[in-house]
Amino acid sequence: MLNAPDAAHPVRTVGIPRALLFHKYGTLWRTFFEEVGLTVVVSGDTTRAVVEAGDALSIDEACLASKVFMGHVDALKDQVDAVFIPSFASVNHRAGFCTKFQSLPDLVSNTFRAEGVAVISLDLEDATDAKKMKAAYLDLASRLKVPGAQAKKAYKAAVAAQAAEDAKRAKRAAETVALMAKYRKVASTDPHQKELAPPLILLVAHPYLAHDRYVCGDITDALEAAGAVIVCADEVDHAKSFKRSFAFSETLPWLVNRELAGAALELKDAVDGIVMVSAFPCGPDSLFTDALMRRLKELPILNLVIDAQSGSAGVQTRVESFIDILRFKQEGGYLDAQEIPHQGGQR
Amino acid sequence: MLKKFRIKAGSADGADAPSFKGTSAKDLRKRFRKDRHKDKKVAVFRYAYYAPAFKFFVEQVLDCDYLALPPATKRTMELGIQSSTDDVCTPFKHMMGDWIEALERGANVLVQVGGPCRLGFYGEMQEEILRDMGYDFTMLNFSHGIEQGYVGWAKEVMKMVNPDINVPHGVKQLLACGHMMTKLDQARDLYMTCAGFETKPGACKRAWEGLLDALEGCTSAKEVDAAYSAFAAQMRAVPLDKPARPIRIGIIGEMYTAIDMESNLDLDEKLMGMGVEVHRMLNFTNRYTHYNEPNLRRGISEYVTYDMGPTTTLTLAAAKEYAERGFDGLIHAKCTGCTPEIDAMPVLRSLSKDFKIPILYLTYDTETSDTGLMTRLEAFYDMLAMKKEAQLR
Repeated sequence: MLNAPDAAHPVRTVGIPRALLFHKYGTLWRTFFEEVGLTVVVSGDTTRAVVEAGDALSIDEACLASKVFMGHVDALKDQVDAVFIPSFASVNHRAGFCTKFQSLPDLVSNTFRAEGVAVISLDLEDATDAKKMKAAYLDLASRLKVPGAQAKKAYKAAVAAQAAEDAKRAKRAAETVALMAKYRKVASTDPHQKELAPPLILLVAHPYLAHDRYVCGDITDALEAAGAVIVCADEVDHAKSFKRSFAFSETLPWLVNRELAGAALELKDAVDGIVMVSAFPCGPDSLFTDALMRRLKELPILNLVIDAQSGSAGVQTRVESFIDILRFKQEGGYLDAQEIPHQGGQR
Repeated sequence: MLKKFRIKAGSADGADAPSFKGTSAKDLRKRFRKDRHKDKKVAVFRYAYYAPAFKFFVEQVLDCDYLALPPATKRTMELGIQSSTDDVCTPFKHMMGDWIEALERGANVLVQVGGPCRLGFYGEMQEEILRDMGYDFTMLNFSHGIEQGYVGWAKEVMKMVNPDINVPHGVKQLLACGHMMTKLDQARDLYMTCAGFETKPGACKRAWEGLLDALEGCTSAKEVDAAYSAFAAQMRAVPLDKPARPIRIGIIGEMYTAIDMESNLDLDEKLMGMGVEVHRMLNFTNRYTHYNEPNLRRGISEYVTYDMGPTTTLTLAAAKEYAERGFDGLIHAKCTGCTPEIDAMPVLRSLSKDFKIPILYLTYDTETSDTGLMTRLEAFYDMLAMKKEAQLR
């Protein structure tokens, strides 16, 4: 490795950029390093300054999400002994990652070559293979001179913490969907047909977009301001979504997209519409968006692509008009809505 | 029915039994040999100079009819653009154009390969788009069966295209097909180092095109070798006027764009036309047949620790080798939005700084203009030539 931490300077403080897969595996990473006795510094929320710094450090054509990542590394580099950046390979052809996640450690090493930012990393060949994942983390711990027993204990605690976090999110998503179904049922009994449940929107976006306030905040705010309720597709039970995604596509190569696709299939009858958000120019999404639009034709879908220049006004207009359309449909405004019970034949 | 009756009648009275005299067992076997050929028209996308190998694959391995595509035109590109999403990578658009033209010309089967990046999802998406457009066909998509490797692919071929394939013969011919690709790459390497310095314009190109024609007719590995030998002899006979230290440029980059002349607007020929010795380590042989990624990565371990993407290791290893061999410059060619090659660029920058080797970065999309490219190449060439002159002085 270009900037591997050397033996003379043991790593005591490790930095984790609050970007990309931190939003998926962050709890695991943080718990693991804390349990092996290191001080963990997670970078702050994304800000305009972070994005601008990342933009300046990146190749122009790189995607927004990776520029944000670079910005976070830049913000961390002076506070820590080493930055933790794992490499996710795609040995599993059905549960791989965008090659960006594979190249990140080397990308950061080369980008910050002059500053000599130390990177600690590990090679995660197959994220669905629990044994290999464990072996990779234990190997990292041994490189950090952590005793084996402590490392094993730390990894166990980290996996449990991540599972608990995932379960909490999945429960939250399931509860929202159940509550909205109840609301709709009650609303449908209104004899005057005046009471309408707020539209339930499935936000199909990679976790690092959906849970980054700077990137996606304008969209979620606009949705909520327009009276919609949001369920994040990446929070729906991962294992179930992954399994279900094979009904969506056999050859889709990316784990994160599979989880989104599975969630969309599962909830397609429960939600009123889908808002898809992707970062410009996202490789997997350039095909996945098209696939989803072609395969879920019965559902209204709003597709938003965001880049570093995005202003909030344009997003607001599009979100508002989308919600207006959904409301109109709910009220039976479109011909196909005549099939909705209680509203058929009244127009 | 009649035949059956006659034999039966013959055997009944014993006098009129059908005679098999003069018909050896071998002839009989020949008479009843199963016809394994399928009259399906199989098309493969246009890709660089590999059409003879694709033809060989279809005819000798799949045992079907090969549908040859004429050279791509502007219409091909337009068809591709119209049927693809905007932000998908450019090879997807090129291939969509190829598929539509192939289907118009009567193809029943389209062959798509699988791959480690977006390419792995190309087949499924292209099939869906074409079906939505109303075309009827079979897609042989090697993204299916990829988990089981060759066994999975063989099953896929037999399921989708030709269930009667003679498997041992098919395996033998598949190896011969790989051999043809190796020979094609070898021939291209020879061609690219010579053609810039020929004294009789077009002599090398004639030899190269003659080789492609000869390979189109090959049915075995032996014939491939013979065709290559003839080509090599022809090339050695071409008089060259090559300076002792010619300008040497290495082309590196993404698997499709850096090789395919349709996509990179004849980058090789443009450089050779300026009198440059062109090298390109990136080809089918070095990426598939002889590819050992972990070992290749050892040589660039001061720059990278992990595999960074489908062709990134090869890009970086080639760049370093060319730099160490004292090449004058490198050209990095890729299509818009190719993530692995974008990720190679910061590493190339480090490399360029360390070895003081200039790199021209080219990003191709469907709107890239030929003239614009020529201007950039000429400027790059002039810079290299001036640098070289100063060095030699």
